[in-house]
This record gives sequence, structure tokens and C-alpha cells, in this order.
Amino acid sequence: MKKFLLFTVKASLLLILTMIVLDFLYTVVYNNSNSRTKIDYLYNSKDQNYDVIFLGSSRVNNHFVPKIFNDNGYKTFNFGLTRSRLEESALMLKLMVERNYKIKNIILQVDLNINTNDHSEAIRSLFMPYLHQSKTIRNHYKSIPEYTKLLYIPFYRYLNYDARIGFRELYFAAIHKETNALKNDGFNPLKTNKGKLIPADLSKYYPKRNVAYEEIKAICKKNNINLIAVTTPICMATINRNYFNHISLVYPEIRHFENAVTDDTYFSTCGHLNKTGAIEFTKVIFNELFKSK
Amino acid sequence: MFFNSFHFAIFLPIVFILYWFIGNKSKINQNFILILASYYFYSCWDYRFLFLLIFSTLLDYVSAIKIENSVTQKQRKFWLWLCISINIGFLGIFKYYNFFIASFTDLLNSVGLHSNPLLLNVILPVGISFYTFHGLSYIIDIYYKRIKPEKNFVDYSLFVSYFPLLVAGPIERATHLLPQLKVRRKFNFEKAKEGIYQIIWGLVKKVVIADTCANYSNEIFNNYNSMNSLSLLLGAVYFAFQIYGDFSGYSDIALGTSKLFGIDLLKNFNYPYFSRDIAEFWRRWHISLTTWFRDYLYIPLGGSKGSKWFQIRNVFIIFLVSGFWHGANWTFIAWGFINALYFIPLLLLNRNRNNIDAFKIGFNFSSLKIIFNIGITFAITCFAWIFFRAKTIHDALSYIKRMFTDLHFSPQYFSIERYSYELVLMLFLFIVVEWNSRTKIEPISGKYSWLKFGLCLAAIVALGVFSDYKEFIYFQF
Repeated sequence: MKKFLLFTVKASLLLILTMIVLDFLYTVVYNNSNSRTKIDYLYNSKDQNYDVIFLGSSRVNNHFVPKIFNDNGYKTFNFGLTRSRLEESALMLKLMVERNYKIKNIILQVDLNINTNDHSEAIRSLFMPYLHQSKTIRNHYKSIPEYTKLLYIPFYRYLNYDARIGFRELYFAAIHKETNALKNDGFNPLKTNKGKLIPADLSKYYPKRNVAYEEIKAICKKNNINLIAVTTPICMATINRNYFNHISLVYPEIRHFENAVTDDTYFSTCGHLNKTGAIEFTKVIFNELFKSK
Repeated sequence: MFFNSFHFAIFLPIVFILYWFIGNKSKINQNFILILASYYFYSCWDYRFLFLLIFSTLLDYVSAIKIENSVTQKQRKFWLWLCISINIGFLGIFKYYNFFIASFTDLLNSVGLHSNPLLLNVILPVGISFYTFHGLSYIIDIYYKRIKPEKNFVDYSLFVSYFPLLVAGPIERATHLLPQLKVRRKFNFEKAKEGIYQIIWGLVKKVVIADTCANYSNEIFNNYNSMNSLSLLLGAVYFAFQIYGDFSGYSDIALGTSKLFGIDLLKNFNYPYFSRDIAEFWRRWHISLTTWFRDYLYIPLGGSKGSKWFQIRNVFIIFLVSGFWHGANWTFIAWGFINALYFIPLLLLNRNRNNIDAFKIGFNFSSLKIIFNIGITFAITCFAWIFFRAKTIHDALSYIKRMFTDLHFSPQYFSIERYSYELVLMLFLFIVVEWNSRTKIEPISGKYSWLKFGLCLAAIVALGVFSDYKEFIYFQF
């Protein structure tokens, strides 16, 4: 039995050592990658100056064309992340402040995402490689239940979020395989869908006070950033479009652009514009909120 | 509680310590600890079904003694059939009732008679097919006087409910397991180490191979209408490795766990994808179930004795029942039927026992023939798996039709943000490892075992799927 206990101790030590080595390797690779996602780009950049940045979910990522702003003299980048919620947008903004970004205006999408105070596991996972290095990320996730395990158990964060930061992603990060996340200054255009649009159903949606949105407002105020909260287009066939009227009851400052583009030909899906729709919509936003320099 | 869960990782060492440090003094203590652990293990799914398990155990235990004590053959038969009927009755109600009622209603509807079926909203008790078959084999062996009934209820209960095999086998025989439970087990370092190696290799198969393949095969089977021929071919191959990794991985963990307690379980898999024909495949795949059907169904039906037509009938019965055992769905029956079709030519040509011996591969023509045969057997097995995996027969047929008519072989990018071909290299490596260790139980033992052990641990943590947790497939059977 003694022999076996010694064997299990050795095996356990080997497991721990393996996890420490793998954690180190993964972290080194991810810390040297800046072309896979907007998060690694943000984390590995510093001292950037922007006139305008866009924050939000896929309804930002696919809707705002920075080129239109850049052509008019505004240095602009689209930091929208597909699947992200306002919680992740808040963390993005905190990281920008940590990385000493100078930002004049933020256009923040606040529409369907204030239906919930929840987070996105898919996007949360992308912050995990920087958990040990970034105090901002640590502070942001201090209150989540698995924080201690994520921080102190070697490799646990990569194991827990293997779908997004597992071996496959590590391999691509190691060979610096580029994605289209950073092309077009962060704008990711969608193709036109030839089929009929399937209406979005917002009948169970109701806007609520959102902790992350309030946090973003506070950060902007503290750092003298002009925050413009906007809604973005959704197809006319959407069930319960009245949801957008309720948004004003909770947050009257939010600017309404859900009707800025209405024709179905501008949509890829009911909730997402195609490339032409995105250009049209960005022009509306620019003309409404900015002037050419 | 699953074998690949954190809960089990805590449970197993606790039971191990209690078993060897507190219960070590006597066989009674050892068996009591294992029974309590087994009941706790089972109640983690649904404690209500624990009563069903205990009832089933009691029924078989009492029936066996009654058969033994019966004075006349009529009495013996009565107790045998009472026990079989109740056991099969439970299985029928929980597993097959809705299937039969729905199929009967469909039949009535097809001839214009409309009815509202009374479907039951029942949960399938986990492991019911396995422990029912345990009990049946025991009671039939008693009836045929192959063994004596077990008088010690604790020992018998442990035979039925022993946690490593409780929910997904292997389906043990009283002649093999009970004698081991009748004596005090002594700790054997080599056996325990082998057990650890087998558990680790089982985990590699489950979380690295099966669960990774599952991500891809689920995507392909669920969206087969938008897949091209290459993706559909790969989908069948991925599923073949998914089910193999899942079930043989489970069996490895079960056998390895049992070795930690000094108890050997029946081998359930013997590298089935290296079979040279379908008969050999069935001697290597889910061995405990195949031999169960052979001993308790095929041979009593007459087996390979009698006319060819008689033999063909028996082959169809055994494969159809085997398919139906897996679940109440026509897809499983179709899967069994296809396997019977594969088997019949071998039977008619008296070639079903041609490939019993071990084989060696070299640079010669016969090796080429062996590799070719292995490839063909794997291909037809993958074809049959399509029926096993599809939700309906219609889906399976549409899948196959599209696979042979689409004829586009370009890589596809799935909505899960993966390319169709991405697993090919990993599966190739897995095949190489399995091929090199095909004469052993697992590939870790032997030379450089610590290095191989470390690589397996690294593979589990780095390549395993943990975020998208997947149950063992055979738990649903």
C-alpha cells in the first residue's frame, strides 16, 4: 500500500506540474498574440487616441463602419464583440482606461442587451489569459463564484473555457493566424441573406436597470468621455417592437435609431444589418451626431 | 455522478481509503463499504430509483432460492418465469411502453383508425438495462443448475449494484464476479497501478476523443441537410470514434476503478475497429452484451445448429433484439438489422469464425489483405452507425442519400466555428496509439510508463472537452 500511496503522490505531482507548465505556456502564447480578437488587440496596445469608439455586441460589430467616420476626420475603431453583453463592454472600457487610451466619444449600443444583467461566457473566456497580469480584469471578476479557482488553480481557466481558449485557439495564436476581427477597423460586414427574414421575438423582453451600463456611465463621466448610448436597427417584422419605447422609460438618455434603416433588403437577419445596411445606418448616425471636420 | 466528474474524483479516493484502511479486516466490511458506496453512487442520479434497484435485487435473490428449493420442475419454471416477467416488465414499462403505444397508434392511424394514446411521462432509471440483465443471467444460471444460489444477501446485492458496473456495465456473470466477492480482497500494487493507468486511458478516450468528436458529429448530424458529401462522410467517422471512445472509455474507467478494489471485471472491448470482418467486430465490441445474448438467447434458440434457415432466423433475432436493447427507437432496430445483413453472408459461407487468431502485420501481401479487410469492416460499421445516431429512419436515409448524391468534397466551416476536417490528424494519432498497444489493455504500461502517463495527463487537461459537458452515451440505455 505504501508503494501505491507513493505512486499516487507522484502521479498527483505530475498532474500539478503538467498543469503549471501548460498554464505558463498558454499564457505566454496568448500574451504575445494581438491579431486574433479585439480583446488581445486591446490588451497588447497602449496609449491610443480615438475620437470615436463603438462598444456593444454583434449589433455593433456588424453595424458600425468606422471608415465613414475616419473619412470625415474622426479616428474611429469598432470594438463591438459578437455575443458580448454590457458586462463585457464595461470591462473593455475599463481595460482601455488601464491601457491609457484617450477617447473623446463612445457610441454604446444599449437596446436588447439591457433585458438582462447576465454575462457572456464566450466573451468572458477571452479575458481569462490575462487574469494574472491585469489588475483590472481581476477586479472585474472578483465577485464571480469561480474566481478563486480561476485565479489559483493552474490551468483551470483554460480548462473551464476550453471551447474558446483551448488547444485549438492556442495553436492559431501561436502561429499568429489572423482573423477578420481587426479588419475594416473592427467592422465585420455580413452578407445579404437571400431567404425571408425570420422575425425576432421580443415578447419576453423588458428593459431593466443595468449594472454594467451604469458602470460605463460612471467611467465615462470620471474620464471625461462623451457617452452616446444608442439603439440599433432591427427588422420591422419584429414581435413587440414596443420594447424600444419601454427603454426610454428606464433610460431616457438613450438615442433611438432602431428605425434608422427599415427596408428588409438592408438586413442579413432580423437583428443584423448586411454590409449595405451597415453603411446606410452609419451614415445616419454620423449625420445625426457628428459633423465633418 | 459521472466517472469524468469532479464529484467522482472526490468520491473514489474516499471509498478507496474507507475500503482499504477501515474495511480491510474482513470481506464483510469490504462488501458493506462497497454496497453503501454503490447505493450512494446510484442515488446521486435519482434516489427514488434506488428502491427499484433494491426491489430488483430482492426479487432475484428470493427467486433464486425458491428455484433451488423447488421440489418439482413445474415449481422451478414458475419461479423462473415470475422473476423474468417482473424484470422484463419493469424494463418494458420504463423503457419501451411509450414506444409500443406510439407505434401501435401510428399503425392504427395508418389504417384510418384514430386514437389518443396514453403515453407515460416516465424517466428511464439509469442503468436499468444493465442491472436487469445482471439479474436475469443469474436467475437463468440457477435454473439450469450452472451455479448455486447466493445465500448471503449482502454479497448478492453487491454483485448487482457494484458501482463501477452499475450504470453502463460490463454486464457481469455470477460465475465470474460472485466468487471474487466471497473472499477478502488483498491489496495488490501492480493491479492497482494497472487500474490507475486504465482509468487515465479511459479518460483520454472519453474527454479527448469522444467528446471532441461529439462536437463535430452533433453539428453534422443535426444539420445534415446543409452538409456536403465530405462532411457527411466525416460525420459518420466522427460518430464511430465518439461512440467507441465514449463507451470503451467508460468501460476502461469501470474496469480500472474496480481493480483499485482488487476486483476484476469482464473485458468489454478488444480494439473492435481492428476487426477483419463483422463477426470479429462483434467478438470485440461490447463483449459482455454480445456474449450475454449468445449464451442466454442465441444458444437456447438453437444457435448455429439446425438448417441454414434456422440459423439465419436466429442471427436476425439476436441482432434485432440487441438493437432494441439499446433503446426504444426504430433506428436501433434498423442498426441491428443491418448488422445481421452483414453477418449472414459470413454465416452462409461458414466464414464467421475465420478471424479468431491474432494477426501480425509485415511487408507482404497477406498484411495488405488484412489492412484492406480492416478498412472495409470499419467502413460498413460506420455506415451502420448512421442509423444508430440518426433521430429517425427518415433522417438516416436522407443523410445517406445526401452523402452519395451531393458529391462536393470541399472543407466546410461549421456554425460551431470549426472546419469539418479538423479532427482527422487527432484521430490518426489515436489509431496509431491504439494499433501499437492492441495486444495490451492500455498503452501506458511498459517502457517509459511515466512519460506516457504524463502525456496522457497533458492530453486530458489540454485537449479534453470540459466546458461543454457530455454524458456517457450508454447511460441512456
